[in-house]
Amino acid sequence: MRAFLAGARVQLRFITAYPDMLIPFITAPLFTIVFMLVFKHAGRQDLTAYAAIAPVFIALWWLALFNSGWTITTERWNGTLELLVAAPSSFGAVVFGKIATTTAIGTVSFFESWLVARLIFGATVTIYHWGAFLLTVFATLGAMAGTAVGMAALFVLARNAVTFSNSASYPFYVLGGILVPVSLLPHWVRPLSAVVFLSWSAGLLRATLRAAPIHDFWPHLGMVVLLGACGFAVGLAALRVILVRVRQSGELSTT
Amino acid sequence: MSTLRVVWYSIVSGANDYWSIFTPKSWVFGWLIRVVSQVTFFALIGTLLQSQVQTEFLLVGNAVMVAGMGATFALHQPTAERGNGTLPLLLASPSRPVIVMLSRGLYVVADAIWSALLGLAIVGPAFGLHLPWPRSLLVIPLTALVGVSAYCFSTFLAGVIIANRNINNLVVNTTIVLLMVLCGVNVPVSEFPAWLEWIARCLPITDGLEAIRGVLAGDPWSSVAAHIGGELLAAGGWLALALLTFGRFIRAGQRDGSLEFAS
Amino acid sequence: MIAVDVQQLERVFTPRKREPVVALDGVSLTIPAGEVHGMLGPNGAGKTTLVKILSTVLLPTSGTARVLGYDVVEETQAVRPLIGIVFGGERGLYTRLTARQNLEYWGALYRLPAAMIRPRSAALLERVGLVDRADQRVEQFSRGMKQRLHLARGLMGDAKVLFLDEPTTGMDPIAGREFRLLIAELKEEGRTILLTTHDMVEAESVCDRVTLIDRGRVLATETPRTLGTLISRFQRIDVGGADDALLAEVAAVPGVSSAIPQADGWTRIEVSEEGATALVLRRLVDSGITDLRTSLPSLEEVYVQAIGERGLDV
Repeated sequence: MRAFLAGARVQLRFITAYPDMLIPFITAPLFTIVFMLVFKHAGRQDLTAYAAIAPVFIALWWLALFNSGWTITTERWNGTLELLVAAPSSFGAVVFGKIATTTAIGTVSFFESWLVARLIFGATVTIYHWGAFLLTVFATLGAMAGTAVGMAALFVLARNAVTFSNSASYPFYVLGGILVPVSLLPHWVRPLSAVVFLSWSAGLLRATLRAAPIHDFWPHLGMVVLLGACGFAVGLAALRVILVRVRQSGELSTT
Repeated sequence: MSTLRVVWYSIVSGANDYWSIFTPKSWVFGWLIRVVSQVTFFALIGTLLQSQVQTEFLLVGNAVMVAGMGATFALHQPTAERGNGTLPLLLASPSRPVIVMLSRGLYVVADAIWSALLGLAIVGPAFGLHLPWPRSLLVIPLTALVGVSAYCFSTFLAGVIIANRNINNLVVNTTIVLLMVLCGVNVPVSEFPAWLEWIARCLPITDGLEAIRGVLAGDPWSSVAAHIGGELLAAGGWLALALLTFGRFIRAGQRDGSLEFAS
Repeated sequence: MIAVDVQQLERVFTPRKREPVVALDGVSLTIPAGEVHGMLGPNGAGKTTLVKILSTVLLPTSGTARVLGYDVVEETQAVRPLIGIVFGGERGLYTRLTARQNLEYWGALYRLPAAMIRPRSAALLERVGLVDRADQRVEQFSRGMKQRLHLARGLMGDAKVLFLDEPTTGMDPIAGREFRLLIAELKEEGRTILLTTHDMVEAESVCDRVTLIDRGRVLATETPRTLGTLISRFQRIDVGGADDALLAEVAAVPGVSSAIPQADGWTRIEVSEEGATALVLRRLVDSGITDLRTSLPSLEEVYVQAIGERGLDV
């Protein structure tokens, strides 16, 4: 637990130290503007909820791909990976603490979206189902963190992590139905979407922002949790491999 | 003549750098898939709105935007030079840094233009985009113009931020999304208040994109030509600004010590 | 009490598509508690590998190593809180954080009680002379300052055993000397220190005993004075302006092993016995030669020329 908190605290410090981490918080409101403009131009103010949610997913996913995902690799480049392994605290707990913090901070983007919609377009985002909304948010954050742990571990082990990181944004925005629901995608794509937790999260969040009752809330929430847990499990397994590579083969040494 | 030689060698070195990063496989499975997904993501909004007009508007806009986006990556150049340790060497050489930077990045621009055209060619038919023949061929040079124009703009910006190595990524990402907001990529600039439309037309991409849409829609040639002229003006303006100010920014950075050579 | 006990330690690396590399080849070593022990050897000798194994970063291929009685492989969790690691160099610190923030982070990872972290960081920063720079970002630090911060970091857990891997490489002489004073202080506090270096002078000035290691094997473990004697046997004299007759005479002095002309016009006279240096020098000075230099060979040269061929002869 202390290791988790230590990781969390140092990550908070990194946010002020590295301007790059501000990127999603600058682009989120801009994306909100883009989507709101499109919907306004088309006379579809009823889609405000869509415009408010998508930027949040964009921000959270960006943080996972470009920040959390590189947590362990940057320790390696920094020369601190071996020091972390040699410390008494759990390596995995420290990593998870950092990732959880980054993910949690990502929620600021929701407030940004909401404010932009309100102040610039005079549109409100109304939460009709508070309980479901909060549960979905927590499940989404958990799944995002879990997936990010998977990314963090895999990026160390995989050779083409950089390529993946740079190109895994929009493909997942499409598959995840973060703006346009998955139901509008061609049939052959939908099985792929089903294994991306974003699609279940986005669908649920949109539903909580509509007055109509939510269908199949618990099964859908379950999918978010399940897929996030899978990402986390992959991450844990990969973390173990990393520790072996550090200690047994010495492969990840940079000295 | 020696300037041309500098340009040529800079292009070659830039191209070599580029291909050391990308293999054909990673370009297709990494970059191209992202490009196609990006254009698709926005085109799908048209599907959501159940409007073919909107779909095509968004599709064309975001495909052309890829050229602008790729060109904006030129902002990374000074940082790359810094990382290689070649920035101080470049600044100490007799060649003008801005010429070298402009030339080294040309390969990036070529790639950006090519990606945009591929995006259009792949995603267009999937969404039923009609490409009138042979007018549509004009889209190729016009996309190139947009790419070059965006490149001149980002070279100017690269000079502005050259002293500060930390905010590179931040500026690149912000610039790209700002261009998406302002340049008529997703909504016509005529929707903006007059002052904002004026700003949009000073920026790259705006007029070039309108020219491309005009070509595809069968607009009168006079209107298309006017937009082409607008884009040429923007490109020329940003190029001139870059040539004039790049050296000044460097000297300012050298004078007050803010120009950091180490990455 | 034995602080570090290494028995027949082996470590083989098998990099992809290359031949296996034997970094440690049956190393045995015992360090009593409270000793400052130097590990002296050229690059690639296996010093860093040994330190990594002892600090639980790396696993050995075979053999055992115990730190304060705990096995580094089987009882890793017991070893880690007791040791401090100072790998040194430009990396290993969070450069965008301040010195204080770096220390507090590691304090938490070394499971210090929350109330103790701040005071200990402050005390250590004071101790290593960084208190005025405590709240400056590490990226602004000089090499010597970073090194001192590394040491402070290694002490955050109040380690009983410290592993310092070439801590003064790249330091200017004054910084190096101050660092060595710190090490002496730590020894006074009863800590055990294993220090790797390829600098004989450093080993001599700070260590109680020194192990010579090369190509993964221990060559000898001696006090620095003994090692110094070994090496001073192989002293050499560079002479300028001596004619061939004089050089021939000097070469015939008992204990002189060679007199070889160098590219710069000087002649290098190698000595292999105690006392020969004095004889040679006296002869040269008596002949009116004043262009004279004496030097000690580097450690590598000693290995290559003498130890490698003849084995170690005390």
